[in-house]
Amino acid sequence: MTVRSSSFQPQNGGRRLGRRDLLKYLGVAGGGAALASLLPACGVGGGTTSDEGSAADEVSGGFDWKKAEGESIKILQTPHPYQQSFQPLLKDFTELTGIEVETELVPEADYFTKLNTELAGGSGEHDVFMIGAYFIWTYGPPGWLEDLDPWLENSSATSDEYDFEDIYEGLRMATRWDFQQGSPLGTGGQWAIPWGFETNVVAYNKAEFDRRGIKPAETFDDFIQLAIDLTDRSESRYGVAFRGSRSWATIHPGFMTQYSREGAVDYEVDGDELVAAMNSEKAVDFTRKWVELAREAGPTSWTTYEYPDATRDLGNGTAMMVFDADSATYPQNRPGESQEAGNLAWHPGPAGPDGSYATNLWTWSLAMNSASQKKLAAWLFIQWATGKEAMSDAVRESAFADPTRASVFDGAFKETLGDFPGYLETFEKVIDSTEIQFTPQTKFFETTENWAVALQDIYSGEDARSRLDALAESNTDEVNA
Amino acid sequence: MSTTVTGRTHEPAPVQEEPERPPSVPAWRRKARPYVLSIPAVLIIAGILYPFFLGAYYGVLNYSAINPEPIFVGLENFARVLTDSQFWGSVRVTLVFAVVATGAEMVLGVGVALLLNRASRVGRIFERVLILPLMVAPVIAGVIWGLMYNPQFGVLNYVFGLGSTFNWLSTDLALWSVILVDIWIFTPFVAILVLAGIRSLPRDPFEASEVDGASWFYTFRRLTLPMIWPYILVAVIFRFMDCLKIFDHIYVLTAGGPGAATRTLQIGAYEDSIINLNYSLGSTYMFLLWILVFITARYLVSVLGKAQRRAAGAEG
Repeated sequence: MTVRSSSFQPQNGGRRLGRRDLLKYLGVAGGGAALASLLPACGVGGGTTSDEGSAADEVSGGFDWKKAEGESIKILQTPHPYQQSFQPLLKDFTELTGIEVETELVPEADYFTKLNTELAGGSGEHDVFMIGAYFIWTYGPPGWLEDLDPWLENSSATSDEYDFEDIYEGLRMATRWDFQQGSPLGTGGQWAIPWGFETNVVAYNKAEFDRRGIKPAETFDDFIQLAIDLTDRSESRYGVAFRGSRSWATIHPGFMTQYSREGAVDYEVDGDELVAAMNSEKAVDFTRKWVELAREAGPTSWTTYEYPDATRDLGNGTAMMVFDADSATYPQNRPGESQEAGNLAWHPGPAGPDGSYATNLWTWSLAMNSASQKKLAAWLFIQWATGKEAMSDAVRESAFADPTRASVFDGAFKETLGDFPGYLETFEKVIDSTEIQFTPQTKFFETTENWAVALQDIYSGEDARSRLDALAESNTDEVNA
Repeated sequence: MSTTVTGRTHEPAPVQEEPERPPSVPAWRRKARPYVLSIPAVLIIAGILYPFFLGAYYGVLNYSAINPEPIFVGLENFARVLTDSQFWGSVRVTLVFAVVATGAEMVLGVGVALLLNRASRVGRIFERVLILPLMVAPVIAGVIWGLMYNPQFGVLNYVFGLGSTFNWLSTDLALWSVILVDIWIFTPFVAILVLAGIRSLPRDPFEASEVDGASWFYTFRRLTLPMIWPYILVAVIFRFMDCLKIFDHIYVLTAGGPGAATRTLQIGAYEDSIINLNYSLGSTYMFLLWILVFITARYLVSVLGKAQRRAAGAEG
């Protein structure tokens, strides 16, 4: 067949760029450009760092909840028991202040991606948002967060009854920082107000423990042995669930808690520099044991495990223990919430060699967007949501675990806790040693994810010593860059 | 010139009314028309090129969340990325993923298309059922396969009798497991595209080969395959380009792990830009990926052009 179709022929001897060639190349370039158009999805602009005075200084006169009456604010939240507990109470806030609240919910998996993008773009769309303490280390330096100290100190803006000191000290310190690498928490601006928090302890299947006549382990070596003894793969049952996914979130709960109890630290301060210490003797020894625990008594697909996987396995009787946030395991024991509801109990987890119960915490806090145009209304909302009355109502009427105020914890929370064996005792055992165990630094997410990747590599067979040496070297370079 | 029918040539011919001419369009409007018509295209291209060049510009800055007032750093980001073993690991993972997934989807897709081409009731039913995976968003497919791969309660370990210790997402298997998911989602796409190609082929050559007693395999190798080759290449271009920028179901299943076993270039860019908030480094990753995609696209488009000319008998 010798049909000559012009569409198949190079035009003009194939030397000159024909119309079709041009279209073809434009198509290719366009496709590539479309791909690369993702590039600036990374964000533009951002930072509103300013040396100007705080908007709180403009608020004067006596305190009055109605000072911003008629305004409306937008808040960004993730569907979490804390948010769900407060949602029905928002009408009370509107009644009290005359301020309308519009809530936007974004699933946790995408929450910080959206928040990052919005803040980096300098958008003041959301006046208030939920934030974790570690995020302050990244969001604070570019000026994305409003310093709440001037608001707290201004009696025209803050009610006399607010009692900021009632919030646990470890939490208040966790949300206060001066943005100097390695500088301890507790100095500098107050970048968010703690709203709810989690201590990382052990939840276990008490019914199974009672049946076997055993008790939770008090040392880490005993804990490992206990978890191995409880593991029976043929029955799809294993000893302990904890996070192992390729994320910074793998490091902060059980791992960092026990790491600290064993006496290891993440960084040492050397003059103006931070030196990564994930390869110290204590750190290497502990990491080896932790990975061994995951291999011998953890979930088979540990490297994909997030906290919902771990708590689900506890709830359905697959995992005998979980080393993670107490408030994440708490709902599994509520009637009707899981197969093992009513069978669970809590324990502080293994003490360190010196008896340490150092515990890492996570706090969901409320922060104000520095680009907000309605700062007084936003502050009144934060003040109300973290205040005694609203928090007590949330505890009484819903599943608001671990309120951040001592008065609410000792009052409404204890009254409503019900049959949660060991929950209060565990809390009281660890609360004085509960604080952020990480060294504050602006490259937290990058370097902590590197740490999780190193754990996965060791889990996959790499030598712990050499892998942690490499990790420490790269993280030292990174944090000091 | 007039033709005299009546012979009355002394009478002047009636004046024909000139058709009414539309009011003349001013010259400036005639000149402006092409430009006005081009506006939508220009806007679309600007919408693509502006972020592209902005992204490329970020690649030569040190722009990050903690450094919102960046300075020009030249090719420092490129040097950093190109000397990073993680980047080359991601290139390897991306290429292995793209080659194996595309290759497997082509082989299976062509096979399924040939089976579906046989007119039968079962074939017609399968033709419709096959579209189902294409209706599932890759993210959802990732979630579904994540549950199926679960060693504790996943259906795969149960069906294959692998117990609760076989881990489909271990370091050694994770890449192959995510490739399997891609094959599940996109083989029907290839099958449908090739099937459309097969059904558009002329019947004469096939009837002639049947009359000549050619075997099925001979006919396939000498007739069907060369004639559907352009369709296969179109499918290759679509799938290979997509695979080079794969992200969704891998991120859902493994987030790039264990270690860096499934960390593709897109996942690397996402980590740098969105998680670590290092926009310049993320842009550099994406720019390098763009170069890879651009070169591959150009090559594949030129191969497609040759194949089309060959199929039309213009070459070889």
